[in-house]
Formats: sequence, structure tokens, C-alpha cells
Amino acid sequence: MKGIAHFASGVAAATFFPWTLAAAQEGNPLYFILGGAFGILPDTLDFKFYRFFYKHDIYIEPVPNETTPQDIADRIAAGVALAMDREKMVRIKLSTIRLGADYWQQYTVKFDAEKQQVMVKFGPVVNTGQVPVPGTEPEKGAVGRAALPCPLHITYDASSNVDIFDGPTFGFKKDNQNGMTFHFLPWHREWSHALTMGVFFSLLLLPFLGWRAALVIVAAYSAHVLEDQLGFMGSNLFFPFTKSRAQGVHIMRSGDSLPNFTTVWLSCLLMFWNMYRFQAAPLHAIGFFQIIFWGGILPVGFFWLVMKWLTRNSKTAGHETIDTSEWEESVSV
Amino acid sequence: MSAFFIVLASTLVGTVLSCVLACLPGLHVYNIMGLLVMFIYLLADYQIILPPEAYLPFMAGMIVGWSMLNTIPAVLLGAPDESAIFTVLPGQKYLMFGRGFEGTMITGVGGLAGLFILIFIIAPLAPILLPLLQSVLRPYMGAIIWVIITFILMSEWPKGGNTGPAGFAKFFDAWKSLAAGLLTFLLAGFMGFILLYRSPISTEMAFQNIMPAFVGLFAIPWCLLNILSAAEVPEQHIADSLDVDAATILRSAASGGLGGSFAAFFPVVTGGVGGLLAGHATAQRDERVFIMSQGVSKLIYYTGAFMFFFVPGLGLTRGGGAWIMKSLYTPQTSYDYLMILGAIAIAGGVSYLMMEPLTRGVIVLIRKFNYRYISLIALGIIMLLVFLVTSWVGLFIMLVGTGIGLLPVLFASRRLNCLGILLLPIACNMSGFGPTIAAWLHLV
Repeated sequence: MKGIAHFASGVAAATFFPWTLAAAQEGNPLYFILGGAFGILPDTLDFKFYRFFYKHDIYIEPVPNETTPQDIADRIAAGVALAMDREKMVRIKLSTIRLGADYWQQYTVKFDAEKQQVMVKFGPVVNTGQVPVPGTEPEKGAVGRAALPCPLHITYDASSNVDIFDGPTFGFKKDNQNGMTFHFLPWHREWSHALTMGVFFSLLLLPFLGWRAALVIVAAYSAHVLEDQLGFMGSNLFFPFTKSRAQGVHIMRSGDSLPNFTTVWLSCLLMFWNMYRFQAAPLHAIGFFQIIFWGGILPVGFFWLVMKWLTRNSKTAGHETIDTSEWEESVSV
Repeated sequence: MSAFFIVLASTLVGTVLSCVLACLPGLHVYNIMGLLVMFIYLLADYQIILPPEAYLPFMAGMIVGWSMLNTIPAVLLGAPDESAIFTVLPGQKYLMFGRGFEGTMITGVGGLAGLFILIFIIAPLAPILLPLLQSVLRPYMGAIIWVIITFILMSEWPKGGNTGPAGFAKFFDAWKSLAAGLLTFLLAGFMGFILLYRSPISTEMAFQNIMPAFVGLFAIPWCLLNILSAAEVPEQHIADSLDVDAATILRSAASGGLGGSFAAFFPVVTGGVGGLLAGHATAQRDERVFIMSQGVSKLIYYTGAFMFFFVPGLGLTRGGGAWIMKSLYTPQTSYDYLMILGAIAIAGGVSYLMMEPLTRGVIVLIRKFNYRYISLIALGIIMLLVFLVTSWVGLFIMLVGTGIGLLPVLFASRRLNCLGILLLPIACNMSGFGPTIAAWLHLV
């Protein structure tokens, strides 16, 4: 999920504790701040700290107008072959291809588990907003293909776009089924996205901030981890007791607009409800279901229905997907 | 003349005047409104008393016209050069693709959508919902501002550290922009404390206390960037139609409507902050949606905050426009509210109609004259205004603000961090420890 969704749910979780509201009424925003900060912290740890120190075995840094899709496919396949000889995970870093100040050459990497191969294809040039620059869409661009030396078990999306800023990391590790497990962004949602880390941080700050703050920290941090579990990638929930990410429940994708917005909005409604019921003498009489229905279900549902109707003919309506169906017809090189 | 015609005439005059003024880069409508209030007081000294029907719709027209059209200079007179491309808005990318006309007109459509939301959704609900929201949220306003500050500071994304081997070099490269963002926020906050507790601006001009700092933080770096920029503005294409559909308008209206309403209701939260929160919340990536939602958000923020001032029985003063009006008039009945709504509706329609000719006019202007000279003239006008209102001391404050405002430009961090000037001191004050910090800083 997006940062703001985690942030808002962290604050919402904090408002369930009466001391959060009591302190805020007296001018102390500490618990509110802790809720938001620890709600977003797992991603902050990964994206602002850990990823810069994460070491890779292979760096694929394509040179603009020189490197071909086949070069990239070959190097990925070589990485998988390397992983066959190792017990540890082989980490491959794919760099983006920057063509100018605001231009990036997009390319897509697809793993075909059935045919046991990796395919790479260059897409359009995109700007930093990931919007294709008109006229740069390749009609039937070359597809690089390389055979993989073993069966591949895919735990995340089989296709990944590489375009702006930082490229993805792929991890390959031998599994118990005589094959290789593919891990997308192995540095993400590893130790940082564990329920146990929330407890760790709360214990760390307990002597300084007290048990009330510790409870807020656990609640906000756990909210983040559990929300992420609704997606595809999942998290390593009980690090260091568990070693790998538990599969997500595949309900939503992290970049989808509607689940993100719904989470933020629901969090705001819950905050409002908690603040409302904490009033000593409320001036207005409203109930929880009234707030949820009039403030949530009705407007969000109406918006969703109208959007559904307006985008009924759009192929990618709902969430972003990578369409690789036409690759089979493309010319191989 | 009947009240109807007075209201209509003053709305139209205010709207047309602000639409033209909106084309001047860096000039803020609140500065002009402040001067107008001074002028009204001056008239009163000469026993010339203007009726509220003359100046209230005029002010409403000023705010609506400016909030609808101030995108024109933002898009057409803000050409970024190569080094600044990551810090520029999609509107400026439109300019560099020769689509500046389209970019401004898209925000105009957003403004119109914002007007629709304001008049047909927010205005009827405001007298019912706002008192409820106000009564529940009032004790938590301080905490909410702190939460917003936390999000602004924690949500900035590292822009470097994308290539090369893992290690501290990569980490420091990534953290350059983040550290500059934090520094900008703290310095701006410190400046805010000084202006709040020991302002060098004379008491007669206290209502323009923050104006020179804002000009320094936001307008001057923009003008300087334009003047120093190595970019050439390409020939601008006048499009026959806009590349937007109903879904884009709906998405933009939802995102911008939320951001604008949030900013209009909560104290100290500006349209930029509201837009940032709404953009994140609705996970928008489409640049057209971004541009249009800015149009929606801006109109609802500026006009909505002004409109809330007139909601019967609410007593809510948000935004510079409402604060300036508060020194002149206290709204009494629903007559005022309905009059303001009528003025807003008329002004919105008129300003949208003025958008196309004025955009074409500015395009002709930048075709004939180098935009650097236009920015130079704009810089001169802004500095003159600061000098006239706040004298030399204002120019000094502006200069300090410029130094802080250039940090995000140089390090590619968020300019929004400059809002620390308002957010930090006011959040500290709302939480009750502002005076203690001011004492630490030897300001009291």
C-alpha cells in the first residue's frame, strides 16, 4: 500500500487508545505522531535506509542504445545458473535506462515458468511520471529470450516493468522442489515488515516514552504489516523466527487507487468516530454505522460505480497490469 | 442602484481585475486584498463608507478569478532547465512539449469542476456538516497539524542513490535531497518563530507580516530560476480540444476536491499541502489528473476558505482572504452567505471564460518577448510591492526567505518544506509550547 494509507491507519490505530485523545486535548500530540510515524516506518526503513546497503551479486546496468533485450535476458539466465551452484540466494540488480533529464527507456522482464525461460522487451520511452512519450511506442520490438537451467517457482508477478529512478532486485534461491524460487525485491518486507519488529521498537522506546507509547507503536506498526499482507508479496511476519516472506492473500495490489483511497478514508472515519465518542458532552448525536454509511459506503461506492461505468471499455481499469500477451507473436532475436 | 446590480457589478469588476492580475507571476491576491482593505479604511477616514454589497462580492470575485487563473504564469512562465526537471510540475512539462495552452486549459476545467463541487455539494452541506466537524475536531487541531508535519517530512522520496554498489556513498547520495528538505523545513520554521514573536514589520502593516517571507520563499526563487534558466521555450501549440475524458475529470475532481476541502477547513494547511495529501491518498500517476486536480484543489482551497467565513453561525476563519475580511466585516445572516455564493458562481463562470483569451495573450507575449525579461519585470514588480508595503525591513526578510527558498531548488527537494514557516510555529503554539521555544530562542 502507499505510504499515506499506512500513515493514516497508524494514526487511526493510535486513536483507539483513550490516552492518545486525552493527551491531544491537553496539547500533547506525541501519540498521534507515533501512530503516523510507526505506521509508515517499515517502508521508511526499507526505501530510505536498507536498500542502499543491500549488496547484489550481479548488477545489470544497460547502456542506452547499446544493450539489447537479449543481453539482459542472457545475464538474468546466467544469474539463475549461478544460483544453481549456491546455497545462498543470488541477487540481481536491474538498473533503469536514463535517456535524458526526464526520459527513461522502459523495459519489461517476464519469467515464463511453463516454458522455463526469461523474456525481455523494450517498451516506450517514458517520462518521470511513467507516462509514455508519444511516438516512442515500439510496434513489434525485439524480444530477448534465454532458457533457464531449472524450473522456476514464482512467488510474485511474473512480469516487471523497469523504468524510472531505481530498478528492481530479483532474488533466486534453490528450493526443495529441485527448482529455483524467484523473489521480487528480496530486500523489501524482509526484517522490517515483521510483527516482531513492532514489539522490538516498542521495547526499545519503552524506558523513554512509557508503556502507553509502546502500545501505540505496536498497534501502528502491526497495522502496516497486516495491511501489506492483503497484497501479493507478503511479509516476513515473525523475523527472526521466520526466514522468508509469507505469501500475501492476493486481495489487492499496492499501487491500486481504490484500496489505497478506501484505507485512507476509512482511517479518517475511524479517527473521527473515536474523537466523537471521546467528547464529554457531544453536541450532535451520530452513530458508528451512520458515519460509515454516510461518510464512507455511500460516497466511495457512488464514486466506484461511476468510475466503473466510465471506464467500462478500458482494458486496464481497476489496477495496473503488464500486458505481455502479444509477446508470443513478436520476432525473437 | 439596486443591491442586485451592485453585487453583480462589483463581482464582475473584481473578477476581471483579478484575472488580469493573476497573469503576473509571483503576485498574490491576498497582497492586493490587503491593500484594498487599507484603501477602504482610507475612504472611511474621508466619510466615504462603502456598503458590504460593494466590497464583499468584489473580494469574492478577486479570490475566484485569481484562484482560477493564476495557473497561467505557473505553467507558461516557469520554464525549467535540464537540471531542475525533477523538481518541476507536470504543467511545466506541458510547456516544454509546446502544450502550455492545453496545460492551463486543463487546470481551467479543474477549476470549473471545483466550482461545481463548491456550489452544489459543499455549499449546501456546509451549514449542516461543518458545525459537527468543528465541534468534534476543534480539540485536536494541534495534533492534526503535527500529524501533517510528520507526514510531509516522512513522505519525501530520495531522488538519488539509484546506481552503483551498495554502501554509504549510495546512501549519502540518496539522502542529499532529504536532508536539504529537513533543513529547509527547520530554517523556515525558525524564520516563522522570529516573524511571529519578534517581527520587525511595523504594527500598521502587521496583517502583511508574513508576505515578504512568502515572496522570498516561493516567488523570488521561481523568478530567479526563470531568469537564470538555460531553457528555451518551444513554440506553443493552440489545441482545438483537450485530451481529457469524463473519467479523468471525475478522478481529478475527487482528488482535488478532497485536498482543497481539507486545506480550506484545517488551519495553516495550504492548498499545496492539501493537494499533496490528496494526491497520495488517491494514488494518482496520470499527469493530466495531477494538473486538473491542482485546478480543483486550488479553487476549492482559496474560495472555499473564504466561503466558510460566511457560513451562518459557524464563525470559521480560514485562509488569508477570510482573515483580511475579518478586520473589515463580520458576517451576520444567511443573506451574506447566499450573496457570496452567488458572487462565487458568477465569478467562476466569468473567470473560466477569461481563461482562454488570457492564456492566448500570455502565449503571444512570450512569443514576442523573452520570458526571462518578463520574469525580470515580474521580479521588479514583486520587489516594489514588498517595499511599498513593508519598506526596507520587508526587503531584508524577503532576502532571507529567498536564501531558504533556494535550498529546495538547488537540492531537488520539495518546495513544500518552506511551509515550515507557518506549520512549525503555529503547531507549537497550538500545542502550548510555542512560547517556551520562543523563550529558548530568546525571542520573548
